[in-house]
Parts: sequence; C-alpha cells; structure tokens
Amino acid sequence: MTVLHQIEASIPALRRYAHALVRDRDRADDLVQDCLERAVANCHTWRGDGPLQAWLFRILINRHRDLQRRTPSPGHLVAVEDLRAEPSHSGSQDCHLDLREVHEAMARLPYDQREALLLVVLEGKSFDEAADMLDIPKGTLMSRLARARAALRILTGRPSNPPGLGRVPVPNRSQQS
Amino acid sequence: MTRTPPVTDEELLAYLDGVLSVEDFDHIQSRLAADPAYSATVAEWSRQTAALQALYQPVAKEQVPERLTRVIHLTEANAAMHPGVRIASGSRWQRVAAVVALLCVGTAAGWFAHAMLLAPGVAGNLASDAMQAHATYVVEVLHPVEVAASEQKQLETWLSKRLGHTIRPPDFAASGFVLMGGRVVPSDQGAAALFMYDNAQGQRITLYVAPQGASATTAFQFAKSGPIQSFYWMDRDLSYAVVGAIPRDDLRRVALAAYDQLI
Repeated sequence: MTVLHQIEASIPALRRYAHALVRDRDRADDLVQDCLERAVANCHTWRGDGPLQAWLFRILINRHRDLQRRTPSPGHLVAVEDLRAEPSHSGSQDCHLDLREVHEAMARLPYDQREALLLVVLEGKSFDEAADMLDIPKGTLMSRLARARAALRILTGRPSNPPGLGRVPVPNRSQQS
Repeated sequence: MTRTPPVTDEELLAYLDGVLSVEDFDHIQSRLAADPAYSATVAEWSRQTAALQALYQPVAKEQVPERLTRVIHLTEANAAMHPGVRIASGSRWQRVAAVVALLCVGTAAGWFAHAMLLAPGVAGNLASDAMQAHATYVVEVLHPVEVAASEQKQLETWLSKRLGHTIRPPDFAASGFVLMGGRVVPSDQGAAALFMYDNAQGQRITLYVAPQGASATTAFQFAKSGPIQSFYWMDRDLSYAVVGAIPRDDLRRVALAAYDQLI
C-alpha cells in the first residue's frame, strides 16, 4: 500500500475520533479534511518511523489544538476538582449509562482529558501509543484518564461510593480491539 | 504486614484495559476484593467505555464524504504526473485550484517533466512514457480501458495489428491481478499498447508495450517517479514496462511473470 492509500484507509478512524472530539459533524469533517490536506502535502516528510495512523492522529490533534486556541469554545469546560456530585438519578446502578447523558457529559470535559480518553477507549490505543500521540509522558496520560473518568462519573450523576456493591466484573481482555 | 496497599487509579486503568500480565491481573483482582468501592469504580468505568463506544463507533462505519476522499485522489493524480512539483501551501481552494490547473496542462507538461527527470535515451523514454500512460489512465473511473477483458480476443487482434506484432496480455493471477482490458496509446515509435489490471483491493497496475526493440534482450531496469514505480526491459521487437504504485517486490514479481510469458 502506498502512503496515500494508507492515509485513505485511516479516514474512517480519523472521522470517528474527530466527531467524538468536536461533536459537530461539519466541523469534525472540516478538521479531518484539514488534517488530510496537511498529511498529503507533507507525506514526503513522513519517514516511516512508526505507524502512519499515529502520525495522522498527531496532525489532527495538533490542528484541533490550534483551532481551539484561535476560537476557544464556550466555557462549559470544568476541571473535575470544581465539580460536585450531581443528584443521583433513580436507577443509577443500571447496567447501561444513558447515552445522551454521556454525550452531554463529554462536552463538559476539558479537551486534554477528552483527547486522552477517546484515544484509549474509542480508538483502542495503548497507553504508550496514546501518550506518544498526545506528546505527553505516560504518567500525565494516566492522570488525565483517571480525571476524565472521575469527571464523567460525577457528570452522569453516579456517586463514587454507592451502596449495594456488586462483585468485581472481570473486564474482557479482548474488548479493546 | 497483611494490610493490602491501596489500588491506584493507574492500576485500575491498566486492569480495565486488560493490559496486565496474568500475574498482575490476579494480584490486583485480589486487592480489589478488599474494598467494594474499587469494584464499583471498575464497573462504572467499563460502563463508560461501553457508552462511549456505542455513541461514537458508528461514525467509522459511515460512507466517507466525497470531499475527504477527493483530497487523496487529487493528490494521487497530481503526484503521478508531477513527481517534482510540490503543491505550494495556501488556502484549501488555492491548493485545489493548483491541482486542477496542473491536471489540465498535465499531459503535455508532465511528459516533458518526465523526459527531463529520467535518464536520457530510449530506455528512459520507455519508462517515462509508460508511467505517463499509467498515470493518465489508472485514475479513470468510467473509461479506464477502451476494450474490456471480456472481449479479450478482439483486444488481442486489435493491439497486435496496431503494434505490428502478435501480442497477448500476460496472466498475473498468481499476484492477484486480473486483466481489466486495454487500449492503444501514442508513443514516439507509433501506437503502443496499454493493458490494465486490478486486484481485489482495487489497486491498478499497467503493462505498457511499445513497438521498438533493442538489438538484444535487455536486463530489467527500474525507474521511480513519486509513488509510481516501473520495471522495464526490451526484447528484439518490442519494449515493455510494468508500472504501478505497489510495493517494489510485488511489482518485480509481476514484471517477472510478464517477462516469462512474453518471451
């Protein structure tokens, strides 16, 4: 596969990530298009020293950060330290989270946490890969992940010390494909 | 010293991600059992994972908008014809306009660019002409070939007559490439033949056959122009070039198959 073909094959993953990060279809596709244009204009500079997809994600993330700096989004991004537990919904121990609620909660996560969480959870990147793509040490990545998860938990109104505890579920090792 | 050390967030994340060794996994699991709050956290986090995947995974299954694939296809066509030209940075529309302009003047300018870039001489022209023909026709969606492989007999008769030599398209099935068809293309020496093949991934390669031979059969030579590569050689009557943007070893295999079958 040529570099261009590899870039093309990565478009679905780039769109998925961009849509989850930006949360607006047109703006997400604008971001992907911007990323692709930069990638094809610079693919002679890609030295093949790592997965091409990681390089593309790095371009996309950097591009998104640039755009954020230029036009910061309205201020509902809150640090988890400033959050207080919202009232618990009835039946909050359900097996499934309300998707709409999670989608709303994601909007309130700071971008650095969103970037990290989506790379691992949605794109199935390992901690090392994600840290590399975000250009941060692994420890920083882990703390962003933990903060993102804690914030989501509060934002979806599921207190951290609920009564009536179940057994530890054994995560499926092949889940993160 | 039977007190269990607390489980850190980092350990919980690794546990959830399934990246621990069996030993660490079991070890953490036994410590998790010490405090029910841990199990609640792990359960909640895996629900988050499931929710995020359910929310956002489907986007990757959607049809990619044409404006995104166009970025790749325009570049591909442009790179094929203008290996030396780098598109200047500028606004998206400036860049698109630049590509379109290059495509319009492509045939003539591209030919000269190739002729200058490649080694002078007949063999250089052969590779250059073959790559130019490849770049011109592989991007065709509606009319990549003039006569389809379904009419192979007619194709052979027609091209043999135009080249003045019996010519049959070789079989590249062993490399996964199937004949799509062929067409006549111009060359310095008169009509040349271009056969196009594709594989299951939709990659296309071409075999170019021009009506000029060498005094003796020449060895394989290799040329590269941007992503496009070519192995070419000559026998007494005809010159051949296998062209494609596939890995060099794959292309060499195809070229060897062609050589064996055409000799």
